[in-house]
Amino acid sequence: MRVLVVEDDADMAQSLRASLVDDDHQVELASDGEAGEDMALNGAFDVIVLDRMLPKKQGTAVVRNLRDKGVSTPVLILSALHDEDHRIEGLNAGANDYLGKPFSTRELLARVRSLWHGRTQEPQTRLQVADLEMDLLARTVKRGGKKLDLQPREFRLLEYLMRHSGQTVTRKMLLENVWDYHFDPQTNVIDVHISRLRSKIDRDFTQTLLHTVRGSGYRLEG
Amino acid sequence: MRPRLGALLRTTTFRLALAQAGAMLAFVVALLIYVYVSTVGQLISDSDDLADQEYAALERAYTEGGIRRLNQEVIERAARQGPLLYILAESDGRVVTGDFQHLPVSPGERSQRVDFSFERIGDSGEAERGRARGRVGRLLGQPILLVARDLGDSAVISGRITRVLWTVAVLGLILSVVSGLLASWLAARRAEALSHTARDVMAGDLSRRAPVRGAGDEFDALAEDMNAMLDRIEKLMVTTRTAGDAIAHDLRSPLTRFRARLEIALNAPPDTDADRDALRKALVEADRLLDMFQAVLRLARVEAAQNWKFDRVDVTAIMQELVEFYQPAAEEIGLTFEGHVGERLAVRGDSGLVTQAVSNLIENAMKYTPSGGRIEVRASRRADGRIELLVSDDGPGVPAGDRERVLERFVRLETARSTPGVGLGLSLVSAVARLHKGGLHLRDGIGAEGGGLGAALVIPEFDQSRAA
Repeated sequence: MRVLVVEDDADMAQSLRASLVDDDHQVELASDGEAGEDMALNGAFDVIVLDRMLPKKQGTAVVRNLRDKGVSTPVLILSALHDEDHRIEGLNAGANDYLGKPFSTRELLARVRSLWHGRTQEPQTRLQVADLEMDLLARTVKRGGKKLDLQPREFRLLEYLMRHSGQTVTRKMLLENVWDYHFDPQTNVIDVHISRLRSKIDRDFTQTLLHTVRGSGYRLEG
Repeated sequence: MRPRLGALLRTTTFRLALAQAGAMLAFVVALLIYVYVSTVGQLISDSDDLADQEYAALERAYTEGGIRRLNQEVIERAARQGPLLYILAESDGRVVTGDFQHLPVSPGERSQRVDFSFERIGDSGEAERGRARGRVGRLLGQPILLVARDLGDSAVISGRITRVLWTVAVLGLILSVVSGLLASWLAARRAEALSHTARDVMAGDLSRRAPVRGAGDEFDALAEDMNAMLDRIEKLMVTTRTAGDAIAHDLRSPLTRFRARLEIALNAPPDTDADRDALRKALVEADRLLDMFQAVLRLARVEAAQNWKFDRVDVTAIMQELVEFYQPAAEEIGLTFEGHVGERLAVRGDSGLVTQAVSNLIENAMKYTPSGGRIEVRASRRADGRIELLVSDDGPGVPAGDRERVLERFVRLETARSTPGVGLGLSLVSAVARLHKGGLHLRDGIGAEGGGLGAALVIPEFDQSRAA
């Protein structure tokens, strides 16, 4: 995957590059908003990681210009300002995701991958991972042809995991996307929800679908 | 702290006093004119009347008794002591009899009013100058008759009145300037006392308060407001200082551990497993420090109470979701978790903040309630119409004496030092409550005999009429 990183802090940029390269991406760096915008317009990137506070042109302005010029490359905004309204402002400008600093490298990598996969996704009415099937219209879930009884929130949790099957999904991503919570619970709430879901979809079957990725989060995989 | 004259002259009070003095001066001048006109003017008109009467009487005497009778009358009247002067002269102007040797004025065809200066030999034998007003005219057979009143007396009177009025004016002016200076000095002294207090406070003595005299005047009101402001500032300063100390204390421990781990790892012989373990632990400490900064920043932003876009917040939905969110985790650690959420509850505010505040309360309860305990989450409309979001537990609770203190920043009871957390959870809830014009109240929980802790976030209900 080709990733453009627009970040003015040289140390931060190098560390982002190292992490992304480590995760098998090709990385190009830009150190200010204008250069970033030019590169985004001319290069074929799969994902753009954009700092919010940049010299010459703010990250939000860059995204807005790119969208105005028809560039639909997924954009992840990084910002030290990650209060609710800043996040909403970033998303309104056309960014696809917003991550507050400080963040863990794993969180960033998970989100970059998720953005790439999310881009290619078409509207679906059915999701399937191995023998696990979800009918989004009838709101039913079956595994091996056997109907599973899920609570509404469990259904949304599973839906998110299935849409991102094969990718690592962090707890933070689940909190934001399934519950729309933008704070860090001090307790292992997410783990408990996952383990309840796992008991419903995996317990009676030999093949485990919902895996724990140590130190990062979870992955649904057949 | 004696106010200097230069400064005094610039004070508002003095300027007002000066303006008042000017107004008074104008009044005195007007009074002067009025008194002059009404006294001297009256005197003159009286003397004119008198002269006219005499003139008419003598004219009558001439008509009745001819020149002899007139001459005699003039001689008699001129001999009398009095303010009136007489002259009888031939038609060619030669004086026949009277108070002067020469006619001081020449008569016209008809009798007329005259006003003239004269010089004559007085009783003392010296020449005296004077002024007189009267009537002069030719009688039927040509003799000239002049009757005038010596204005000497009235001029003296008018001069005296004028002098008195000028004296009054000058004295009044001096008096009003002095009283203005005095008033401005008094006002300046009280203002100086206030600014002295302000300077002391600025110099660092936060315990200084402005003197209140108990006179109930505007300076007292100002001093009282200023003192109330200083009380608030002092309290905030103390809180900030305590928070600063607490931050320093709470940051020092993880930073010290962070440093120590790195140092130990560096000093030890290279060992991949041990090094990786040290790095992992250092990372945990770094995350903890970042969490603390994040919490402090967030709290500061809520406390600054700025830039929040308030909207209708569906409390019922938020509370139901939170109960559903936390119930499994609570049950997992052996707690009974109950939610009782009333229907159609709404407040005006920021849904993210309300959610986070209640989640802090729930996590607190989960953290401090031992396994086997019970947590109850309630959302209801109180009798006073406000919305109460209550999280109660039957854990160890907080002693009544400590309840106010635990709401302060970074305060963690000694018993809680060992549990994770940065001591900002309740401060944030409290700040969120204040931002929503409500409050956070700590009370007894649901344990036996009032054991445990009940934390109630009370916020005014959403008012549909103020929604726009």
